[in-house]
Amino acid sequence: MEYILEVENLTKRYESFVLNKVSFYLENGKITGFIGRNGAGKTTTFKSLFNFVHPDDGEVKVFGKSFKDNELEIKGRLGFVLGSASYYPNKKIKTITEAAKTFYSKWDEQIYRSYLSRFALDENKTVAKLSSGMKVKYALSLALSHHAELLILDEPTSGLDPVSRDEILQIFLDLAEQGITILFSTHITSDLDYCADNIIYIKEGEIIAANKLADFINQYQILEFTKENLSKDLISKSIGHRRTKTGTSLLFNKGMVVEHPHKKVKTDLDAIMVHLEQEHSL
Amino acid sequence: MKKLLKKELLLSFHPTAAIFVAMAAMVLIPNYPYYVSFFYAGLAVFFTCITGRENNDVFFSMMLPISKKDIVKARYGYVLLIELTQILLAVGFALIKSVLQFPANSAGIEANMAMFGVALFMLSIFNLIFFAIYYRNVKKPGVAAIFASVAYFLLLGIFEMLVFIIPFARDKIDTFDPLFWEYKLIILAVGVVSFIVINILSYLSSVKNFSKQDI
Repeated sequence: MEYILEVENLTKRYESFVLNKVSFYLENGKITGFIGRNGAGKTTTFKSLFNFVHPDDGEVKVFGKSFKDNELEIKGRLGFVLGSASYYPNKKIKTITEAAKTFYSKWDEQIYRSYLSRFALDENKTVAKLSSGMKVKYALSLALSHHAELLILDEPTSGLDPVSRDEILQIFLDLAEQGITILFSTHITSDLDYCADNIIYIKEGEIIAANKLADFINQYQILEFTKENLSKDLISKSIGHRRTKTGTSLLFNKGMVVEHPHKKVKTDLDAIMVHLEQEHSL
Repeated sequence: MKKLLKKELLLSFHPTAAIFVAMAAMVLIPNYPYYVSFFYAGLAVFFTCITGRENNDVFFSMMLPISKKDIVKARYGYVLLIELTQILLAVGFALIKSVLQFPANSAGIEANMAMFGVALFMLSIFNLIFFAIYYRNVKKPGVAAIFASVAYFLLLGIFEMLVFIIPFARDKIDTFDPLFWEYKLIILAVGVVSFIVINILSYLSSVKNFSKQDI
């Protein structure tokens, strides 16, 4: 299969953190959510993908071409948004656009105007006067107006109210329908439930899952036990745990047969993540 | 280069840069160490870089289809434009001064060809030091400005002192144009060549340093 983005063994070592052999692949026209708790390595991964930081090892291919050898061509075909439009707060967005568009050979003024109108963006406003949701929409307008085939966004829904978040996610769905591939990081799991086809899960600098979202959720089961029914054997067989009001819930692989009395708990992305990330031991 | 300069002028230009460039008019002050006026061009460089830091300029630039080398090239193009504009303006003011026959400058060298040659050299040293530090860590333009400013004022002191203590400099260099023009033309030529060579070397080294830097 031909992938839009191929990342293999991407490694970046810092004194207190290691992005360790990160590998994943993006399929054309799919929405992929990149999740992990704060500090897990999501932003470092994005920065390493596009040479903001220098990876110690690994290879990144975009549109089948090595990013390192084809940086400018590839950047011209993708939209990369780190932290919404948090640049030049006192500049009017029309000034920023004027400066940016000259670098894109495929810039389409008509499409840009249509996005401004669709997102109700006033180009005479400064970035500082845009709400968080509007900043994301502006960043998207810039990216989409040069016909980006791949959109990579770092926490685009972070800090947005539920309505703005929903709007952004609906835009993602529309874009995916048009064949645009989207990778966005988030720690809000409901964003992924709503629109993601695939999921990449990073924990402490390592990818622990890169699956279809439904497959990822279906591989787990969460069962709740009272204090009396909980045994050390059960805990050792589980892959995550969480204290609850009435006992302890444990995360197991789906095939795992458990004979102790238990109660089934709804197994969704949020619950899986919470169990996998639990740090204190039982 | 045209696109890169356009981006710099639209997004990195700060109104104070225009004011600092206009400081070229300081060569009209009757008694003044005129090299000070060119330091304002250096200040404009610092203000541009610190404003860029606050505006996430490097981050924005990295998202565009331009390389790190282009980001450095854009900044050098912009900085040289500011510095040369200020020099050209100062040349204009010096000509006006000459036509109006201002009295001799008792606080430093006359605004003559040699002074412009030395100013070009001093600005190139400012750039060399500023960018050597800045492109190792674009988050700290203040440190770069401190070192570059100290170097600039040391040179300013040395060059002003030379026209006081060396008889040749006092009698032939610190004079109105076109007197002894052949000596002053040599200094101007050395200044122009050093400005070109030092800035090219500085640019190449900055590209190397910035390419290695994690953003």
